Amino acid sequence: MPIAATPQDRTPRDGVDVADLWAAIETCYAKGWTDGLPVVPPTESLVDAMLAAGPWAPGDVLLHEPVRDRAVTADKAAINAVMAGCLPEYFPVVGTALQAIGDSSFMLHGPATSTGGAALMVVVNGPIRERLGFNAKANLFGPGNRANATIGRSLRLVLLNCLDCRPGVLDKSTQGWAGKYSLCFAEDEASSPWEPLHVSRGFAVDQSTVTVFAAESGHNVLSHGTADPELLLACFADAMAGLGSMSPGRTAIVFAPEHAAHLRRAGWTRQQTQSWLYDHAWRTLADLKRGGKVEPAFYASPALVDWLYQDAPRGRPAALPGADDAGRVQDGDETVRVHRGLGREDIMLTVGGGDAGGHSAFFPSWSRGRSVPFVTKEIPV
Amino acid sequence: MMRILDPTFGPPPAAVAFPRASRPHSLSGATLGLLANGKSNGMALLDRLVERLRERHDIGDVVRIAKTNASVPVSDGDAETLAGRCAAIITAIGD
Repeated sequence: MPIAATPQDRTPRDGVDVADLWAAIETCYAKGWTDGLPVVPPTESLVDAMLAAGPWAPGDVLLHEPVRDRAVTADKAAINAVMAGCLPEYFPVVGTALQAIGDSSFMLHGPATSTGGAALMVVVNGPIRERLGFNAKANLFGPGNRANATIGRSLRLVLLNCLDCRPGVLDKSTQGWAGKYSLCFAEDEASSPWEPLHVSRGFAVDQSTVTVFAAESGHNVLSHGTADPELLLACFADAMAGLGSMSPGRTAIVFAPEHAAHLRRAGWTRQQTQSWLYDHAWRTLADLKRGGKVEPAFYASPALVDWLYQDAPRGRPAALPGADDAGRVQDGDETVRVHRGLGREDIMLTVGGGDAGGHSAFFPSWSRGRSVPFVTKEIPV
Repeated sequence: MMRILDPTFGPPPAAVAFPRASRPHSLSGATLGLLANGKSNGMALLDRLVERLRERHDIGDVVRIAKTNASVPVSDGDAETLAGRCAAIITAIGD
């Protein structure tokens, strides 16, 4: 393991002296520094090697969370990346993913702390996928690949250790979900009917990127019985419009290669697929009300009123319901279509999974509101 | 013997940078600030709280400010308004 030269201006780091490796692991547990799984003890030499593999100085701030005024330096990020089990060459990905979730538009405080219990999804694109050995194929969301598992885990350890997002303290997830341990995977660009995800978001094909998303737990979209794009996509639109996850928020869809191949053969473009899904992922306003999904506070929010009535045949009613009858089905509500999201741009399409099987995934955005955007950043190489 | 490094943020500098505000001796005639944190029912909770407080205290004006989003900090302008006008401030999140 190479050991970086210690920068001259570095101040001594806080740390703990322990007897041996096992004591180190148990000390990390005792101090509340883990996600529940054992961590690699972050010795100075391992952390220096991690830092040396990235372009950042130890004191560089990779993420600043403004609500609590917390800054995560490259040094702290490297310590947590070591603990997560990362190889040093993963560190540029970890640091870039931290910068992405620290983008002001991502408003990290919400998805990091909310009852919604979002995971931090990281989609990797570009040549770095093969160089670091990411999994974009079978079981890409599940266990078995070091880059996928440890890079995603690094983000969670940073939230736990640097932002105090500990369960029941600042992480108030009602339930959370297993993706909060780690949710990092590469796009299967070769199986995509379209340009790679990052190219669709303005990057060059030879750039490597991360795209982050605050994701609720994924829904398996199962379809083995059709190659017809509209019949296939009807399953996705139905999942997207389920009352349980219906919102004006965003959508991430990870098409299995088998489903992607049906769209490729039919010549469907990315935009056409996004538009079809947006157009068909709707419930009537009456349905939403019958499911208790229209809260009194919605009618006090111009943005939410716009969402509810943007596809109303007769526009919004002259007099909006008051707080007491917001949830009561009214004349015309059966004809008002309320779509998931605000437009096709709210639907991110990517591809990944084993070559066999008609199992894709729909991930709703965190929160019952608008949630936070997709953020893509280039990985420095 | 081996040394492991501390992965945490450490003590927040804000605790040092911001001294605790002085406590008002009385709410009689005092201007009270309400800061709803941006979730849907925060201000409703605060308004009910003020109703209850008025039963026991002769509160003066009430300054009501609602953040537009719980995921962002209070704006500098709103913070200055609250600090400049209010003898006491109550903040709440109501979902």
